[in-house]
Amino acid sequence: MKDFRLFAAITAIGLLGFAGCSQASSQQTPSSYTDDIGRTVQIQGIPQRIISLSPSNTEIVYALGLQDKLVGVTSYDNYPPDAKNKLVVSGFSTIDLEKIITAKPDLVLADDIQKKDAIPALEKLGITVYTMSPNNTDMIFNDLKVLGHISGKTKEADNLVSNLKSRIKVVADKTAKLTDLQKPRVLYVTWHDPIWTAGNGTMIQYLIDQAGGTNIASDLHGYATITMETAVQRNPQIIIVMSSMGAQNVSLDFIKSNDQFKSTDAVKNGRVYEIDADIFGRTTPRIVDGLETLAKLIHPELFK
Amino acid sequence: MINDQNASVARTTVRELPAYSSRRFFRVISIGGMMLAWVIISLLALTVGSVEIAFKTVWQIITSHLPFVNLHGDWSPTTDMVITGIRLPRIFMVGAVGTALGVAGATYQGLFRNPLADPYLIGVAQGAALGAVIGFILPWTFGGGYIIPFLAFLGALAAVSVVYLVARVGRTLPMMTLILAGVAIGSLLISITAYLTMISADKVQGILSWLMGSFSVSNWDQFKLIAPLIAVGLAVIFLYARQLNVMQLDEEQAQQLGVNVERTKIILLASASLITAVAVCFVGTIGFVGIIVPHTVRLIWGPDHRLLLPLSAIGGAILLILADTASRTLMAPSEIPVGVITAFLGAPFFLFLLKQKQKSVF
Repeated sequence: MKDFRLFAAITAIGLLGFAGCSQASSQQTPSSYTDDIGRTVQIQGIPQRIISLSPSNTEIVYALGLQDKLVGVTSYDNYPPDAKNKLVVSGFSTIDLEKIITAKPDLVLADDIQKKDAIPALEKLGITVYTMSPNNTDMIFNDLKVLGHISGKTKEADNLVSNLKSRIKVVADKTAKLTDLQKPRVLYVTWHDPIWTAGNGTMIQYLIDQAGGTNIASDLHGYATITMETAVQRNPQIIIVMSSMGAQNVSLDFIKSNDQFKSTDAVKNGRVYEIDADIFGRTTPRIVDGLETLAKLIHPELFK
Repeated sequence: MINDQNASVARTTVRELPAYSSRRFFRVISIGGMMLAWVIISLLALTVGSVEIAFKTVWQIITSHLPFVNLHGDWSPTTDMVITGIRLPRIFMVGAVGTALGVAGATYQGLFRNPLADPYLIGVAQGAALGAVIGFILPWTFGGGYIIPFLAFLGALAAVSVVYLVARVGRTLPMMTLILAGVAIGSLLISITAYLTMISADKVQGILSWLMGSFSVSNWDQFKLIAPLIAVGLAVIFLYARQLNVMQLDEEQAQQLGVNVERTKIILLASASLITAVAVCFVGTIGFVGIIVPHTVRLIWGPDHRLLLPLSAIGGAILLILADTASRTLMAPSEIPVGVITAFLGAPFFLFLLKQKQKSVF
């Protein structure tokens, strides 16, 4: 008896699924995409109601001119300023499932950080989730193109990507001619106690390389701490400090006033700079603005 | 038969007299030996780090800074800065914080007559953490980042004061009430700290680093601020070693033996809390030192506070210097939070001692 019920249930589900498929195929075949964390995502038709679960995803949505279809964002989304007017459905690591369902999204753009909790929860509710967590510019371009393709903005996406690529090329062409000696030693700092910096495999490393600098922490992997004595001994010629949100920059004050950093060329020559955390900490088209800013800081003589 | 027994009792008493003076000798030797170990370990710690500097160069740099020595070498000013401006003040800071945590732990354990007591039992760490987190998220700052240690220090003292006021019953301070009030207020503070951390995602990195403890930015200015306060606190506590011994009986008996129990409790609590607050405000809430060091000393040297307190100070310094040296060299040029090391090294070592001594002591 039990077995029969199970059989019936499976058959019914199978039939429903089949019916669903045949109905879909009569309109349009779903396209299949692989997202940034390797999930295969089936997307059918052009999404009309998009939710973004990270500030960088929101920037990418705006960059493609899809803001009218954006029906939910996170509480940290501050760029472009218009994003602040959108419905908030999520914090950074906590999402509000009720609000998300009520907003009836047909596409949720998630972040890598949500892969263990929010993404499975949304999948269980039958919501289409595409994850964008680019680690480098190629992945940004790929995400722009995929989202452009999904949302019927293929041409806009292609134009945007080729524009970004040519801007990167302008910087890279100038710095490519530099010899190693002409590339100043750069220390990048996100926090000073202990000193947190960015090593190999990070976007920051890529930007410093492209902008014609030498990252003194390139022997570290990913975002990592570096001891004060190593930082001082490697004698950075330029120190770049990440800006802090809404507050006076404690790390910047520390590096400028600390006795231990006084022996470094960067402090001696007043080459300690603050950069915008929102631009350098997010992987969005604005990262190219960041590259241009960084290139001007490192090589003011080349970029005027 | 009875005479025989009396004679044997008398004999043991007589035999204990030279034994007592040899205990005194034993105390001097133990403290002196441990001091020497502290100095040697500090000097060795000075020669290792994420920047490789030859053993000989380190010594030349140190000697060149001694008065009346005129020594010039071929090391760069940067190398000099690494040794005398970064490593040396760091080792001094670590030592000072280690003594404070070790003695505070021994004092709390003695006062509460509870082996689980540690310097963070009655709200010092939780208050410091909340103060520090408020320092992290305030939209303004002053004094080159001194706002975080300042608020951590204030938070620690405020938390202990509130616990004290809540626990006080008339003119007495029942230790059980104090522990319960400490635990309750501690939990309340932790929940506020957790909430503030959660809503300030961009500061999480700094906050977590502070909570796990780090000497990464230690300098002479910090040492000059904390060392005198810790020295005064230690001196006061050392003066009360005998009273602490008597209070191990129980409070009533101690009172009958002429100890002003309530006054002693308040002075010791205030001193131990003060040195703990001073210890954590710059470097964060480093765990395990305050609980493991006094126990280890007790397992090796016995429960006499005249020996336990100074040896906990030295032991705390040594353990923390070893842990900090590991923290700045194991993954060089990266740093591992020192609190992670103290727990990782301290806990197994303590279990080993416990197992060794189990047959005789417990």
